Amino acid sequence: MTGEALALAAKDLRLELRGRHAVSTVLPFAVTLLVALGLALGPDRPLLRQVAPGLLWITVLFAAVLATRRSYELEGEDGALEGLLLSPADPAAIFLGKAAALSVQLLALEVVLVTVMALLFGLPLAAAPVALALVCLLATVGLAAIGSLFGVVAQAARTREGVLPLLVLPAAIPLLVDAVRATSLALEGRDVTGWLGLLLSFDVVALAAGTLLYGYLVED
Amino acid sequence: MGGAGGFRHVVRRRTHPTCRIDAHAACLDGVTRVFGQQPALVRVRLVVRPGEVVLLRGTNGSGKSTLLRVLATAVTPTHGRGCVFGHDLVTDRRDVRRLTELVGHQTRLYGDLSAAENLRFVARMHHADPALVPAVLEQVGLLEVADERTRGFSQGMRQRLAMARTLVRAPSLLLLDEPYAGLDDQAGSLVHALVAATIRRGGAAVLASHDDLVGFAADRTVTLAAGETVVVPQPSLLSAAPGGLT
Repeated sequence: MTGEALALAAKDLRLELRGRHAVSTVLPFAVTLLVALGLALGPDRPLLRQVAPGLLWITVLFAAVLATRRSYELEGEDGALEGLLLSPADPAAIFLGKAAALSVQLLALEVVLVTVMALLFGLPLAAAPVALALVCLLATVGLAAIGSLFGVVAQAARTREGVLPLLVLPAAIPLLVDAVRATSLALEGRDVTGWLGLLLSFDVVALAAGTLLYGYLVED
Repeated sequence: MGGAGGFRHVVRRRTHPTCRIDAHAACLDGVTRVFGQQPALVRVRLVVRPGEVVLLRGTNGSGKSTLLRVLATAVTPTHGRGCVFGHDLVTDRRDVRRLTELVGHQTRLYGDLSAAENLRFVARMHHADPALVPAVLEQVGLLEVADERTRGFSQGMRQRLAMARTLVRAPSLLLLDEPYAGLDDQAGSLVHALVAATIRRGGAAVLASHDDLVGFAADRTVTLAAGETVVVPQPSLLSAAPGGLT
């Protein structure tokens, strides 16, 4: 199963590098959204620093919806998803491969977004870089798991553009709350162990749900 | 077609309802598939033996593609059951998928991957040997464009690559849906080679086609009308194929 998941993740990342969808669409969208939200709040730097974690994760959440949609669009272009599902590969491997590729893309996006926020909002990234990195990693894995699971459901729906956000956004609310709170504490240099535990729990549940349910969701 | 009361069942084969692994490459036992209110297959009974090439004929909407998709486990029977080499179409899906390859209207290629990358990915997902890829590409006449992205390929080239995928996988049950569509004569002979290679391995092939030319390669023709089988055994013509298929 691991080999199949890695092959799928490598294929997805190669397609992304070739198609440059993330660079040409997701990244500009995310940066624009972040800057627009910052401008809407005004030039009050202490306020911006205070709300920065919320802005970051809302932006990442919307970007994740876009990236997920793109990931499944590529599978649907010429019936590739059906070919994938008709392979003897474990459906769980397909889910994990999709989630892994999405995680890598979102982590790369977060590096850019956090850098932009540090420059624009004066975020103290040096306060607890390891804790911040762990928060980003755990939150991203959970988000990618949700996206990969619901992405295949939305792909089968007639109104897939509207269905995906309706499925992903509510499911991601607990993760969003955890990630925002953990990021705030990490930026203040405070202990985030408890929040990391919550994020890890969310990841375990999301990955387990995806691994168990994906096969049922994709079958006719 | 019509309501359930209006279904015609032209031929009732007296086959054993359970597929025997040593005797049947594929079997369908009273398979019905309904999409919404519309029946696409109605109580279809079909047995395909190892070494057999079966041609499915019928008008548009007669259920040929659905039948192939049922055998490939892309579509689940609404009623009835079936199996491939003894593996149940519903409960043993992964085993059936290991043994079957459906070449349909869509080529299932990734446009931003090269021809070789597409095949290597298929090989990894199907536990086949990626080292076969160059030889297979040469066999289908695409070795020179092996490193080019398939987005720029013509439909014929894409069809050839779809057939190359079958050569990489070497399935036991080959399911071809209008395999000659978009292919020139030279590429058409690839279809024959694919079928012949499958038969040589002890497998079987089921082809759905409007093309009369395909008839010379079939052991048996099964005609579908409004989702129902309406027969038709024929003497084996495989050995009489021009140029030979074996």
